[in-house]
Amino acid sequence: MEAVKRALDKISVERIKLELLGNAYNSSSTVLGRLDPRTLLIWYLFFAIVPWFMHNRTILLGMFILMAVCTVLARASTFIIFILCLGLITQVGWMFLLSLFFGGGGESVLPMLTLTLKLSVISLASITVFSSLDPERLSDGLSALGVPDAFAFSLSYGYRILPTLLEEFHQILLSFRLRGLRPQKNGMLYWRTAAYYLRIIVLVFYPLMLNTAKRSRTTVEALETRGYNYAVNNPQVKKLKLSYLSLKPRDWMFAGVTALYLIALFTLGTAFPELIY
Amino acid sequence: MANNILELRGVSFTYPGAETPVLQDVSLSLTEGDFVAVIGGNGSGKSTLCKTFNGLIPHYYTGEFAGEVILHGKSTEGKTVSQLSRHIGYVYQDFENQLVRPTVLDDACFTPLNYGLADYRQRGERALELTGLTGKRHDFIWQLSGGQKHLLALAGALAMDPDILVIDEPISQLDPQHARHIYDILRSLNERLGKTIVVIEHHTEFIAEYCRSVVLMDGGRLRWQRPVHEALSAVAELLPLGIYPPDVTRAAWMLRPGAPAGTLYPLSCEEAEGSFARRGATETAQRIERAGVHLTELRTERREEHETGLREDHQGGHVAEHGVKGAGEQAVGHGSKGAGEQAAERRVLRNPNHSTAAAAAGEQEPVVHMDKAGLAYRTIHKTLQPVLSEVSLTLNAGERVALVGNNGAGKSSLMKLIAGIAQPTAGTVTVKGITVNGQPPERLAGTAAYVFQNPEDMFIDDSVRGEVSYYLKARHREDRAETVERMLAAFRLEELAERDARLLSGGQQRRVSLAIGAAMAPAVMLLDEPTANLDISTKQEMIGVLHTLRSHVETVVIATHDMALVAEWATRVIVMHEGRIIADGSKEEVFADALLLRRAGLTETQLMKLSRSLGLPQICGSLEEFTSQVSWQEDVKLEHKEEGVALSGSR
Amino acid sequence: MSTLKTRYTLTQSQKMMIFVLSMSLYGLSNMFTELIPSVQLGPIELSVEYFAFIPLTLCMLFHPLYAAVGAAVGEIIFGELMLGQFGGLGELEKFITFSLAMYTAGRMVSDPKNRRQVGIAAITGVAIHQFFSSVIDIVKVWVGVEELEAVQGLAESVVLIEGVSFLNDVLFSGILFALLPTLYLVPRLYGKIEPLLGMKPRERNMQYATGAWLSPKLVIVGTLLAAVALGAELMSESGWSFGEFELPGAESNEGSLIWISIAAAALVAAAIILILRRSARRRQEAGQLDG
Repeated sequence: MEAVKRALDKISVERIKLELLGNAYNSSSTVLGRLDPRTLLIWYLFFAIVPWFMHNRTILLGMFILMAVCTVLARASTFIIFILCLGLITQVGWMFLLSLFFGGGGESVLPMLTLTLKLSVISLASITVFSSLDPERLSDGLSALGVPDAFAFSLSYGYRILPTLLEEFHQILLSFRLRGLRPQKNGMLYWRTAAYYLRIIVLVFYPLMLNTAKRSRTTVEALETRGYNYAVNNPQVKKLKLSYLSLKPRDWMFAGVTALYLIALFTLGTAFPELIY
Repeated sequence: MANNILELRGVSFTYPGAETPVLQDVSLSLTEGDFVAVIGGNGSGKSTLCKTFNGLIPHYYTGEFAGEVILHGKSTEGKTVSQLSRHIGYVYQDFENQLVRPTVLDDACFTPLNYGLADYRQRGERALELTGLTGKRHDFIWQLSGGQKHLLALAGALAMDPDILVIDEPISQLDPQHARHIYDILRSLNERLGKTIVVIEHHTEFIAEYCRSVVLMDGGRLRWQRPVHEALSAVAELLPLGIYPPDVTRAAWMLRPGAPAGTLYPLSCEEAEGSFARRGATETAQRIERAGVHLTELRTERREEHETGLREDHQGGHVAEHGVKGAGEQAVGHGSKGAGEQAAERRVLRNPNHSTAAAAAGEQEPVVHMDKAGLAYRTIHKTLQPVLSEVSLTLNAGERVALVGNNGAGKSSLMKLIAGIAQPTAGTVTVKGITVNGQPPERLAGTAAYVFQNPEDMFIDDSVRGEVSYYLKARHREDRAETVERMLAAFRLEELAERDARLLSGGQQRRVSLAIGAAMAPAVMLLDEPTANLDISTKQEMIGVLHTLRSHVETVVIATHDMALVAEWATRVIVMHEGRIIADGSKEEVFADALLLRRAGLTETQLMKLSRSLGLPQICGSLEEFTSQVSWQEDVKLEHKEEGVALSGSR
Repeated sequence: MSTLKTRYTLTQSQKMMIFVLSMSLYGLSNMFTELIPSVQLGPIELSVEYFAFIPLTLCMLFHPLYAAVGAAVGEIIFGELMLGQFGGLGELEKFITFSLAMYTAGRMVSDPKNRRQVGIAAITGVAIHQFFSSVIDIVKVWVGVEELEAVQGLAESVVLIEGVSFLNDVLFSGILFALLPTLYLVPRLYGKIEPLLGMKPRERNMQYATGAWLSPKLVIVGTLLAAVALGAELMSESGWSFGEFELPGAESNEGSLIWISIAAAALVAAAIILILRRSARRRQEAGQLDG
């Protein structure tokens, strides 16, 4: 179980910078990425809520197919989808096994399948939408839909500050390692090594808190000189900032296609509620 | 006639809870279009002064405020920071923290957008154009270098088209080339666009070259505000405050003891032309073709000095001579093993294995040995970007090695390889017989100690004592109490032992970081830019501290672009350029090669330039050395310069 | 000549600093905890759930509201959006429960130098959060699976899984990554980190002027009540009758009952958001020291 060590290696500054930030801003090239963020968010809202209250399996399956197509269109990373599947399988799998233990039988598979279907539709919807929106467009979309400006600002600030924080974290961690002593033996299941790393990761936050405190002070002071407080909750500034958002024909087309599909699906679903099982 | 754009009348300020005011009755006026340097020792109130300009004091920092600030003839009382910031751009010393958006253009547009200006995008674009960042506008902030980030912070301020720009320590983290670039931009803003520029600065050479007037702060009071030439010539007054006027000025001052107060001294080498004469050789006008004569002199000088290295010296000098002409095709690959392949790139001035220090150490094994080591990072385009290629190097005990080169030349990476922080992607690195490849950093800690550029990155405990003893404590060393005491004493930290290192001044933090390294008793100590961010007086002190290190460590390696430090401290200089070693030799040899210096992006100090133009037997490292070899020529006129000052001051 | 009066207040900018500080630090830590692998022992997962000590410490040292909300925002931005794991609306519930729990913990501490107080508050904060998230998870299955009780053993297994994970998170993560680090950090940082932000340290027994209605007592009592209610409900569901009572019409119309419970939950959530926002706004307007 070198997992801890490997995970730590993964937390290399460069890697996270490349993987996360590079990908985050790389989404506007897809079909879905060119849609208006508001369209995508409203679309998402529908598919995040409605499935919870659907018990019609045909409709759920139809939605699942739609989501699968959209996920492909959004070119979501396979890694994320893999994680999603793994999570679903373990969660639902354990529930199923335990319910057998409590006296259930094979018949509990079907309701569980329905649950899985619902969860997949919802998760795929979120993957589709959020991997199609780069942080800027997401925050603009949110603020257009009335989410407080502070959140929108924090979102892009997060992307700004992450590499700096990681760098600093990395440096301090290195200082701990350069002056610390790794356990001589790994211990059973590498627990000594794991404990050593977890301990210093926690300890790193002590200096990091102090350093970040200093940093935050300058940042907030600089925000003052850069007119941030002038802009907060100033509707005019917001309008100016969001003026580039516009619903284009492709947004209407996307909404229209989804609506048509859903109408057809609901008709089919009511006619044959148990098309599959 | 120039107008006063900003005036301070009797301004005093006390931070809440503080006993003494940081500003006491300061009155000051800034003329439109001026280029002002604010100087003063640590804690003299420089930054505080500048923060009254845009209302950060007293609106943001609450405290006891008295006096009046007048902008464009109107009192600023009752105006908010946001309102004042439309006219005054502020660039912080830790400018990185004022960049708040992920991408370059976005950050440049941020301020005008906040003020609801419809043309915010054009403003941002224009500001990027002024700072030369247009080509980078879609980059992420984290892809920028330190210098570019600074330019971006400047662009963010410029986007509002302010009348006044305040820049706190614009160049403290930059190599000389980039520093010059920033100042050139500031100058063009000042001259072409008529911006009033205020810099807080302690690099007096830059003040001399770029600024028009100087404000001296001392203990919260404004001592005087003078034209630059007058200001920097007040050497006797400035030195006790820890402000060091340019070398030339100080040399002139030292050579003219008893000159009346108010005497003007030259500020730059150009002004000093003809002012100094080589002692003994009275024919000062003689200005011979430098390289040839100089090299010959050098060689004779060195032959007398070290007899052991005679053969190499000769060859080295030879190589250097040719190297000046054609990029060294004839260079002789007689360096350490494996240097053969790179001979075309690398001009080995002297075989380091035969340095005097090594000769004294006999047949001892080298402290560090690198064999064709390479290092590459993965870039955003998923390609491998080499940072170091084919570096072969041997470091011996007793050497004081300076690694010099531009930002990004690979200095830090080279040191990180030695410290085992980065793993070489090619070749091998051996430290004290341990092969570094594949070792966790914990393993090498006691052998190679790396001192980060930013001391704060090394602070992991809550007191200076804790920092110094951390390593020993982790290893349960029994003698740790004495060792720690010894280190605290050696680096003059006893008084600070219980303080939190983060709250110390820049120079004190450096000393702590060195003590941390020294307490590990490593064979080789690697220091990354130990004088960065320090004011000059602290820098002087650091050189003393570096000598303390020698008694604790076998070999010290410093990565720096501070040529004055190299000149005063190093015994061996390794010049790096684009990930390769392009020269390796004694400082005299390296300094003698002007072309090499230029290629590596290094600028000569004034003393180096003067030594060269006066044809002194060697390049002087310290003022004392220089003044002992030259004398002052009385008949020089400085009037023409004064006229220039008067002219530019009244525009 | 003018002299401005000194105000010893938590200014707008200081609140912003606390928010930014908490957001970046907890966000960063969240990124790590998302990446640290967990040890799976059957259905029980030994995982580093989160570094709760960061928001806990900050809530105890500074104004708890801004630190708590900052941390919750940080989690969404760094831990979810950046890693591409944003669960959409599901995060909203996390946001609310987490900030509520951290806020409560911060409010419980009146003297950051009192180790016992700090320790109790830290573990309570984690327990409140974990309890709410377990409940929400159970409710989700309830809503998601039609005729839950028709499936033998499903209700029990859901409760068992959530119960075990609750215990794991409180006892494993809670002690190792909330209690101990908080006990270590709070006394060390107290009086040291505040000046870096230009603030005075929290003084002993400082009173919270606004938002007093949301006292820790209320939250804890509420949590306990909810626990009792849920327990009773589950018992009756699984057939271990516990006093016979039924809502009229519950038998005949399962569907509408579900709708009613969802509506109730939505109302509660909306009310909490509203109140949080309003109190935040009131604070902003007042611009006074309430911490």
